[in-house]
Amino acid sequence: METCIDWFGDGSLVVVDLSLACCAVESEFAVPEGAPRLSAVPEGAQVVAVISGTIAAPVADLVRTRIDSLGERTHVVAFGACACAGGPYWDSSAIVPGTGRLTHVDHLIPGCPPPPSALAEHVERLRDGGGEVT
Amino acid sequence: MNNDDRTTPGAPTPDAATGHGSIRLIEERCTSCMICVRECPTWCITIEAHSEVLPDEQGHHPSRQRVRTVHVLDEFTIDWALCMYCGICIEECPFDALEWAGPHVLGAADLVGLVHDRHALAEAGSR
Repeated sequence: METCIDWFGDGSLVVVDLSLACCAVESEFAVPEGAPRLSAVPEGAQVVAVISGTIAAPVADLVRTRIDSLGERTHVVAFGACACAGGPYWDSSAIVPGTGRLTHVDHLIPGCPPPPSALAEHVERLRDGGGEVT
Repeated sequence: MNNDDRTTPGAPTPDAATGHGSIRLIEERCTSCMICVRECPTWCITIEAHSEVLPDEQGHHPSRQRVRTVHVLDEFTIDWALCMYCGICIEECPFDALEWAGPHVLGAADLVGLVHDRHALAEAGSR
């Protein structure tokens, strides 16, 4: 369900991708070639949590707990329509209609699915110290 | 995923494969008929409109004196947080008031920032 990626290969920024459904294909494609996969988040690294896919109600607590465990300073990205607002299932009782129902969200990337470049560009802006770009 | 696929000559890039980036509203063609609103699978389109009586020379049926009205568009929004980029609204519009446009819609810091009004939609693809 989860991959922990040293995005730039220097330990400065780690992306924790919570791969929940089909948008995970696109978020995986955004990963730089050869980026190391880690078993744990290194101390001092900037942490970006990416929620990619539909949040089914049974895993909602797991998602919330995992994001909380990454610390308050974690930058949370909702990747795709389902993670943003529930997508086509927004009125279904079986899903959570958006990551914002579980935790704080710092950036929302629209699309069904979004292009991988949208995630890659956002992560690069974060490394460069860029704030929110709208 | 095999990363070598990214460099396959002639293969579509990921962005090209999902190349429906945004939708432009051509406001002067929109009659506020609501077909796009009703057909959207995620209900991400909203329209607000009001009716106005046509001027006297156009406003009455010659035989029955029936008042004729026309819809005037007040607001048209697309909630990109919900949009699936399926294009059904574009396909179903009888007046071609919607069309694919430009690069992918940018992300935002909150859900409100992903609701684009008719002014933003008119300029879609121009950034």
